[in-house]
Amino acid sequence: MLKPHIGDSVLRHEDARFLTGRGTYVDDITLPNQAFAAVLRSPHAHARINGIDASAALAISGVLLVVTGEDWLKQGFGPIPTKSAVNKKRDGSPLNEPPRHCLAIGKARHVGEAVALVVAESHAAALNALDAIDVDYEALPAVTDARKALEPGALLVWDDIPGNFCLDFELGDKAATEASLKASDHVVELDVVNNRVTAVPIEPRGAIASYDAKTDCYTLYNATQNVHANRDTFAEKVLHVPKEKIHHIAPDVGGGFGVKNGVYPEPALLMYASRKLGRPVKWINTRSESFVSDSHGRNQMSKVRLGINKDGKFQALYTETIGDLGAFCWTVGPFTPTGGSARTQGGPYAFKAMYYCSKAAFTNTMPMDPYRGAGRPEASFQIERIVECAARKLGFDPVELRRKNLIPPTSLPLKTAMGLDVDCGDFPQVFERTLALSDRAGYAKRVEESRRKGWLRGFAIAPYMECTGGGPKEFAGVRFQKDGSVELAVGSQSTGMGHETSMPQILAARLGIDFESIKYRQGDTEATPLGGGHGGSRNLELGGNAVHQAASEVIEKGRKLAAHQFDTDEAKVQFEDGHFFVPGTNQTMTMREAIEASFDPSKLPEGMAPGGLDANTTYERGVISIPNGCHAAEVEVGPETGVVRMVGYWVVDDFGTIINPLLCDGQVMGGTAQGIGQALLEVAHYDPESGQMVTGSLTDYALPRADTMPPMTIEYYEGAPTKKNPLGVKGAGEAGCCGAPPAVVNAVLDALKDYGVTHIDMPLTPEKVWRAIRAAR
Amino acid sequence: MPRISLTVNGKPVAHEVEARTLLVQYLRETLKLTGTHVGCDTSQCGACVVHVDGRAVKSCTMLAVQADGARVTTIEGLAPAGKLHPMQQAFHENHGLQCGFCTPGMVMASVALVQGNPDPTDAQVRHGLEGNLCRCTGYQNIVKAVLAGAKAMRT
Ligand code: FES
Ligand code: FES
Repeated sequence: MLKPHIGDSVLRHEDARFLTGRGTYVDDITLPNQAFAAVLRSPHAHARINGIDASAALAISGVLLVVTGEDWLKQGFGPIPTKSAVNKKRDGSPLNEPPRHCLAIGKARHVGEAVALVVAESHAAALNALDAIDVDYEALPAVTDARKALEPGALLVWDDIPGNFCLDFELGDKAATEASLKASDHVVELDVVNNRVTAVPIEPRGAIASYDAKTDCYTLYNATQNVHANRDTFAEKVLHVPKEKIHHIAPDVGGGFGVKNGVYPEPALLMYASRKLGRPVKWINTRSESFVSDSHGRNQMSKVRLGINKDGKFQALYTETIGDLGAFCWTVGPFTPTGGSARTQGGPYAFKAMYYCSKAAFTNTMPMDPYRGAGRPEASFQIERIVECAARKLGFDPVELRRKNLIPPTSLPLKTAMGLDVDCGDFPQVFERTLALSDRAGYAKRVEESRRKGWLRGFAIAPYMECTGGGPKEFAGVRFQKDGSVELAVGSQSTGMGHETSMPQILAARLGIDFESIKYRQGDTEATPLGGGHGGSRNLELGGNAVHQAASEVIEKGRKLAAHQFDTDEAKVQFEDGHFFVPGTNQTMTMREAIEASFDPSKLPEGMAPGGLDANTTYERGVISIPNGCHAAEVEVGPETGVVRMVGYWVVDDFGTIINPLLCDGQVMGGTAQGIGQALLEVAHYDPESGQMVTGSLTDYALPRADTMPPMTIEYYEGAPTKKNPLGVKGAGEAGCCGAPPAVVNAVLDALKDYGVTHIDMPLTPEKVWRAIRAAR
Repeated sequence: MPRISLTVNGKPVAHEVEARTLLVQYLRETLKLTGTHVGCDTSQCGACVVHVDGRAVKSCTMLAVQADGARVTTIEGLAPAGKLHPMQQAFHENHGLQCGFCTPGMVMASVALVQGNPDPTDAQVRHGLEGNLCRCTGYQNIVKAVLAGAKAMRT
C-alpha cells in the first residue's frame, strides 16, 4: 500500500518491466502472418526520377509488393499537410507549402526521401528487393544552406516556389526597437548559428499496420508520441477513411524528444500495403536511415543586435533569423523559426523594446520539425551569446551585467515585448542561488589547479526563461473497478518521462488511494477520446491538470454519495486526506469505502448509477506557463588539443510545483545532456556540394557518452507556483536544452578569453576550438 | 543451414540458423527474447549487450554460429523470475532509466563491468560504459546506479 503525496520521489512503476526485458516496443511485437517492409530512400539530394523498374525486385522469391510514388498517386491518397500554428506570411497570404506525399513524386528532394516501399515474406528478402529496384535518377544540383537558398538566382528546390521562400514572420515593435537601438549608448551585434541536430532516440522509428477486411479497420502500432493527431491526419488527409477506422496504438516508445511527434510517411504506406496484401506489415527503420529520415531540428542563422547603455542597462533587442525548413514544411516545421523562437526572445531580462523577424527557406535536406525546445533553445542561445559578447566588448563583468538586467520579481506579472505573459517567478533569487551553488569563492583556486595541469578553466552562467507548448487540451478518465483497482487513462504520452508513475501519483495523492491499485493507460486512440500526446513540456501542465480535475470530479461525486450515507446535506460533507467527513460529527468514510459503496445499488443516492464515481474530463489550458531557471558551467579546455572537458555543472529551476523530484531531476539531466551534446559534439552536417549528410551514422554523429557529462547539482525554486493551472506546474522537459548550450559555449569562451577568442559556432569540437586558438595566437 | 546448440539463460537450446544470422536476431526472433534491443547498425549503441561466457558482448556484432556451445545470458535471465538482480534494483532506486530502451544493454554491461572491477570509481564507470548510449538520462543516474549496484554486489 503506497499513498504518495505531491512532491514525493515515488519510484517508477514502469521500471519493473523495462529492467527485466519485458517492455513491449514496436519491434517486440510480432503479428501472425506478418510481412516485412523496407523503404527505398533517395541517395541523391536532388534528382529527377525518370522511371522506376521494379520487375527484378518483384521476381525475387518472397517479394510481395513494390509501391512507387506513381502507384501511390493512382490510389488517390493525399499529401500530409503542415499544421504549423504560424501559417501565413507577413503580408497575410498563406505560407508556400509544397505537397508532401508519402513517396517522392517525379523528383527526390533530399537524401533519405522515401522513393518506394517494398514488402516481402522476410526482412532479408525485402532488403534484397531494395537492391534490385532500378531507379532512373537524373541527379540535379542541390542547395543545402538556407542563406544561399534565399539568395537571388538560387537554384530551386520546388519549381513553383520562387526563391525557396516558405514564409516570413515578425513580432514586436520594429519602429520602437530601432529607435531604442539608435538611442542606446552602444549597439553590440553578433551572428549566431544554431547548429542543425537530430534527436536520435535510441529506439528507431518503426510500425506495424494490420488491416482487417471484415471490419474494414486498421490497427496501427507505431513508435510515435502522438497517436490522436497522427491518426487524424492519416485518416482524413492521406488515406481518406473515417478516423474511427484507424486504431492507433503507441506501445512502449524508446525516447522521442520531438522527433516522433510528426506525421511520417511510413505508417501510411504500411496501412495501404496491409490492406492490399491482406496481412500485417512491419517496418523498423535502421539507425543509418534514421539520420536521413527522422526530422532534424534547430538550424537557425541569426543576426542579433543588443542596445545597451553605459551603465550596462539593456535597452533593445533586435533579432533577424533565417530558418532552414529542409525540403518540405513537415508537420509543424515552419513554426519553430517563426513563432517558436520569437516568444521567448530576451530571456529573463528587462527590455524597453524587442523585435524579432525571420524568414524560412526550403533546402535539399531532411525537413525540420520540433526537437526538444523547438525555438526556445535558439532564443535562449541568442540572448545569452549577445549578453556575453556585450560584456566582453564593453568591459562588464558577465555575472554583474546579467544581474543588473534581470527582471525583478516586483515587476511581475508582466507581458514582455513579445507578448509573453510572465506571471510569477524570482529570476534574481534563482540566479544568486545558482552562483552560490557553483562556489565562486573557490573558483580562483580551481583555475590555478587546472593551469598547473596544463588546462584552461572557464565559467559561465546562463539564466533562461522559456514557455510550454503543445496541444491545449487533455483528457483524463478514471474508472473504478469492483475489485478495487482503478484505471486511469490520459491522452498525453510518455516516451520515457515516467507518466505511469507521475500521473497515478497525482490521482493517488488527491484521492488518498493506493498508488499500486492504479492501472495506467496511454498512447491508444481507444483508451481516450482525445489526446495531445507528448510535446512542449506539456504533460504535467495538461495531463497532470486533467488528472487533477478528474480527481476533483470524483471527490464531488463522492461527497454526494457520502452525504447520502451520512443522511446529511451534501454541503456539510468535506473531503480531506482520503476521507469524507462531516465536521463536528464522527461520521467518516474513506475514499476506498466510497468506491466500494458506489458499486452497491442500495447505497447510491438518487441519480447515481453503480460505478458512479467514474470521471471523464477534458482540461483546457488557459495560458502557457513560464518555466525558468539558471544553468552554470565550468569547463577545462586543452590549449594544445582543443579538447573541452565539462568539470562542473549547477542548475536551479523554477518549474512551479514539483510533483516528483526524482523524475524531474531525470528531465533536467537528460535535457542538459542533449544541450551539452549540441554545444560540444553534435551536428547534422550536409556536404554543400553533394548534399550528402556526412554525419549520417552513429560513427560520425557524436552523441554524449557517460564520460562527456560533468557532476551535476540540481535544485528547484518552489516559491512561485503558477496560478495559470490548478497544480501550479510550469513544465520541465525542455528547459535543459535552453540552459545548457549557452552556459557551455560561454564557459569555453571564458576559458579562451586570454587568447582573445570571442566566438566559435557550435558544436565546439576539439578541431574547431583548436583552430580558434591557433587563429588567435 | 548450420545447426547450433548453446545455453541461454540456463536452458539448453538448439536450432538450425542461416549462417548470416546475428546473435541478436537469433535471441529476438528465434528465441523470442525481445529484452535485448537493437538501437543501431554500426555497433555503437550497446542496447544489444548480453553476456557470452560471462563477458559483455554486443550481440549485433556476433554471429549466432559464433555462439555455438556458449553460455549466453540476456536481461531476461539475469535474475530468477520475479526477482531483481542487485544491479537492476540499483537502476530502479536511482532512476537510472527513462524510456528503458538502452536499459537492458546498460544493465548487462554494468554487471560485467562490476564483475571485472568490483569497486569501480565514478570515472571508471563512465569509461566502462563508453560503449553504451543513452539519450534520456544524461547518464548521471546511470553512473549513480552502477556505483550503488556495485556496492550491493559486493555485500
Ligand atoms: S545494436 Fe547498437 S551496438 Fe548492437
Ligand atoms: S533510458 Fe532511454 S535511451 Fe536510456
